[in-house]
Amino acid sequence: MSPEAATAAPLVLGTPFWLGTAVFVLAYAVIISEKIHKTTVALAGAALMLGLKILDQHEAFHLEEFGVDWNVIFLLISMMVIINIIRPTGLFEYIAIKSAKLGRGEPFVILGIFAVVTALLSSLLDNVTTVLLITPVTLFVADALDVDPIPFLISGALASNIGGTATLIGDPPNIMIASKAHLTFMDFIYHLTPAVIIIIPVYLVAIRIFWGSKLRTRDELKTRIMSMNENDAIKDAPLLRKSLFVLTLVLLGFAFHGSLHFQPATVALCGVALLLLLAKVKDPHHLLSEVEWGTIFFFIGLFIIVGGVVKVGLISWLSVQVIELTRGNMFATSMVVMWFSAFASAIVDNIPYVATMNPLIVDMARQLWPDLSGTALLHHPDLMPVWWSLALGACLGGNGTAIGASANVIVVGMSEKMGRKISFGRFMAYGMPVMILTVSVSTAYIWLRYYVLKW
Amino acid sequence: MLAKDLMIPLQESLTPEMTLKSAAGVLRTANRGEERIGVKGLPVLDPRGKMIGFLSIGDILKAVFPSYMGLMNIGDFSWDGMVEDMARRVVDRRVGTVMTTAVISVHEEAPLMVCVDHMIKHGVKRLPVIGADGRVSGILYERDVFEAICDIMLSVTKEKLG
Repeated sequence: MSPEAATAAPLVLGTPFWLGTAVFVLAYAVIISEKIHKTTVALAGAALMLGLKILDQHEAFHLEEFGVDWNVIFLLISMMVIINIIRPTGLFEYIAIKSAKLGRGEPFVILGIFAVVTALLSSLLDNVTTVLLITPVTLFVADALDVDPIPFLISGALASNIGGTATLIGDPPNIMIASKAHLTFMDFIYHLTPAVIIIIPVYLVAIRIFWGSKLRTRDELKTRIMSMNENDAIKDAPLLRKSLFVLTLVLLGFAFHGSLHFQPATVALCGVALLLLLAKVKDPHHLLSEVEWGTIFFFIGLFIIVGGVVKVGLISWLSVQVIELTRGNMFATSMVVMWFSAFASAIVDNIPYVATMNPLIVDMARQLWPDLSGTALLHHPDLMPVWWSLALGACLGGNGTAIGASANVIVVGMSEKMGRKISFGRFMAYGMPVMILTVSVSTAYIWLRYYVLKW
Repeated sequence: MLAKDLMIPLQESLTPEMTLKSAAGVLRTANRGEERIGVKGLPVLDPRGKMIGFLSIGDILKAVFPSYMGLMNIGDFSWDGMVEDMARRVVDRRVGTVMTTAVISVHEEAPLMVCVDHMIKHGVKRLPVIGADGRVSGILYERDVFEAICDIMLSVTKEKLG
């Protein structure tokens, strides 16, 4: 079918094509080299795409196909503001202390409980936020028990990347995929959460092999943990109650956004407005300034860069190559997408990677089913497993190396501050096996569920 | 009055390669003027005698304070003996990794008000005083400035009474 596909999207190899491709390749190369901050690179790349008239401003700002995906931007901003309001209540410290006590001061049991709690929190919050909130307490617990803190750091990052895979809001790649493919929160719950529920026990076995016999403490140290009162962590109980109320409403909103025909960003934006009103925030300036604007502008820049190469035809040319490679076999396509995504995300930030893959998959679908459009095209039964493979590969692939995911970068930074830097090799010694293991489980899941049982 | 009139000439100093344990020993037994009562901070000099940092009690407290404590809101939680544990752990760390590198210092000829300005604006109680050769020649202590001010205030009162 490849000859028809190639003629369906005629490729014009003119000046715009080469200019756009050059800007894209240059921007991604500089992002990978880390010579210049990624946000600066993304904005510079976007400026070039607009300045060279590869893309005009209207396309960049207002067209879904070529420009900024504001659904992703506002969902990210809203979730960041909600977390910034909840953070000072002490909820996360409470959860962490409570988890440590649940483990009765037994270091490996606590490590396992922290892994599950981190995965759970991370499925509802951004991975970086989860790691920033929970890991400091796990380091404190490791010190109290006089055990090596490094397993707690590495496992925190790995578990947050695994947990984030489970839901639409858990990890930025999922937010981007959901928006591009018009998938709902419940779609992710039906299709990705079961995979993560299978992966977590497998992950627990892996960390048992890594650290199960190494983490030992003395009985008298366990009382240090057991004598802590988690209720002391709660700093602002009234605000906590309001926050939990709004958070519950937001989650309910996400659960029903598909059937109520609201975009997830609308739900999150309503949550922010309600929480700002209920919390009686006098001046929201401070809360809003704490939004990670660097990340937000990184997304904005990337959307414009990718929009440029979509417009000049690079992405549709790439999608033809993928179809030729897999000869239109959709199971092979799913597998190539998943494993390629895993290794690509281990090396490159998964956000620019998914930003590129999203339009590529849409283009591929257009060439496979030229008569379909809209949801009928995006939700074609043969295409759905490809979206899920992209999400699983891109999110779980982040575990492969110390630079594969932002959460990994954060824990390596924390270890450096403690004077016990986790080397690139040491992280990979644990991260790469976990990546290969979890992606293998995902492979079996996709194969069984979509190609054997055909659910 | 100038910085050099009130400063106490430098007697001891530290090097960046010293361990915190040996630095603690020097701080504990250093001379302050005539008395051997220990000091709360000393300049860190490179082999050529140039100041590259300053180690004060604040830096040692920070070295004992685990970095994760600053990231979490659970100051109420700790265990009895936590500071003792941490202090034992940092004995072998090098002065160079703990010292303050952005040191507020004054020149020997600096007027006293300039010194007071630094003390108030930067919240420091000790100012290294740099001599004409570019090296640390002494340390100006907040307490000595205070004594000088007291002397003046008391003399004013005497004159008025007289």
